[in-house]
Amino acid sequence: MKLDLQNVTKCYGDTRALNGLSLHIPEARVLVLIGPSGGGKSTLLRVLGGLEIPDEGTVALNGHPLTTEPRDLQVYRRRNGFVFQQFNLFPHLNARKNITLPLEKVHGHSPEAAHALADQSLARFGLLDHAAKLPSQLSGGQQQRVGIARAIAFSPEVLFLDEPTSALDPEMTAEVLELIQELAEAGQDIILSTHEMGFARAVADQVAFIADGRVAESGPPQTLFNTPKSPDCQRFLSRVMRY
Amino acid sequence: MTRRQVIANAVAALLLAAALAGFCTLVLGSLDRPVDWSRAWAYRESLWRGWTMTLGISVAALMGSVVFGLAFLMGQRSRLPVVRWACRGFLEFVRDTPLLVHLLFGYFVIFAPLLSRPLAGFGWDDKMLIGIVLLSLFAGAYLGEILRGGVESIPATQWDAARAVGFSPLQVYRYVIFPQALRRVLPAIAGLFVSLIKDSSLLNVIGVSEYFYNTKNFISRSYAGLEGYLPLAFGYLVLTLPVAWLAHWLERRFRDET
Repeated sequence: MKLDLQNVTKCYGDTRALNGLSLHIPEARVLVLIGPSGGGKSTLLRVLGGLEIPDEGTVALNGHPLTTEPRDLQVYRRRNGFVFQQFNLFPHLNARKNITLPLEKVHGHSPEAAHALADQSLARFGLLDHAAKLPSQLSGGQQQRVGIARAIAFSPEVLFLDEPTSALDPEMTAEVLELIQELAEAGQDIILSTHEMGFARAVADQVAFIADGRVAESGPPQTLFNTPKSPDCQRFLSRVMRY
Repeated sequence: MTRRQVIANAVAALLLAAALAGFCTLVLGSLDRPVDWSRAWAYRESLWRGWTMTLGISVAALMGSVVFGLAFLMGQRSRLPVVRWACRGFLEFVRDTPLLVHLLFGYFVIFAPLLSRPLAGFGWDDKMLIGIVLLSLFAGAYLGEILRGGVESIPATQWDAARAVGFSPLQVYRYVIFPQALRRVLPAIAGLFVSLIKDSSLLNVIGVSEYFYNTKNFISRSYAGLEGYLPLAFGYLVLTLPVAWLAHWLERRFRDET
């Protein structure tokens, strides 16, 4: 995957969530965004995922510039998967229906084909026994795995994950991180934000440190974690690595 | 229940039954002439016609109110401020003035001069049709507000998730927002529909020969009392109770689901 962002700005009211952010990643399989809360990671992911239109600047993923046309943006969203911090499953649909509904209504699969695809991805994540349960009957870790199953069921070009383990306890965090690592090893292009530095180091081949709506530093994980150059990144890493 | 509560409950039941019996005896005893059901029987055809008319008006106005309600919902969520304000203003006016005024004003001042002649030309009952439209608008205004409340109660994260999986704006409403919002506002909608059925009786003021209108005629012509009012109440109950029951049943089903 190739990523090119030039001078991207996004404001919410008076808050500049992204403040002239530029990032150039010529080649990466897994890009991990790290940085302090409120620094712009989520907004950047929302822009990359086509959920938010930047006020200024240009974004190009794999050489294709991102459009601001709502209809084209919808087509773009259909090609990629998005996983949320709070899972965001549809609470009125059971786990399987959460996956089959987009497959049928967005991707035009027959109900049988959608059912088969959904069960295949549920089985892959060890969730087949829970297929008929509503989200409220699943644990947080299970819900997030269903969220990931929903996002990858149609083989997305890029999978975006916005702090996928922030709402989970350590045990559930582990089960979700293992799954993401598995996907990465299977060749899925991934862009994710996380506070799990150990995981970022293990799974990323590019890391970007984001603070105050800009990329303060980016590079391969060995370089960025071992010899951070920007003072902000040094301070952040020394703080999160202390305990 | 404890033993004490069981006894208290039984005593309360006895007292209530006695009070009701006493009241009924008082009322029936003060009637100046015996209850004569043959009078109602003589008017059965007119009463039946009125009842089916009420049923028809209720069903039509129910569907009409859904159409108007959805239109008002969309209007209030429009991206154009003018459309939003116009919708708000109209809804505020409709909700803050009596239905009786809408019916009289709407029929005699607005629609009758415009539409009565052409509708009659087609051989249609202009009073009934205009009445249905006015009733639909009135209930639609309330429904629009109820639906707006329901839609706005769905958290932003659900809209995000629905857009993220690639749903079109219409599909977002159809598959994600409405199914959740409707569950939340179902009791309010059921109450509105029950009111709508009962309010259809007001159409008598513009001369629609529905159940109330025909019963009123029967009562004034035959000097009936109880024979007219009891079937009147019963006739409306037959229409409203199924709606209320259906709503309770759906509510329970949804509650079990989540």
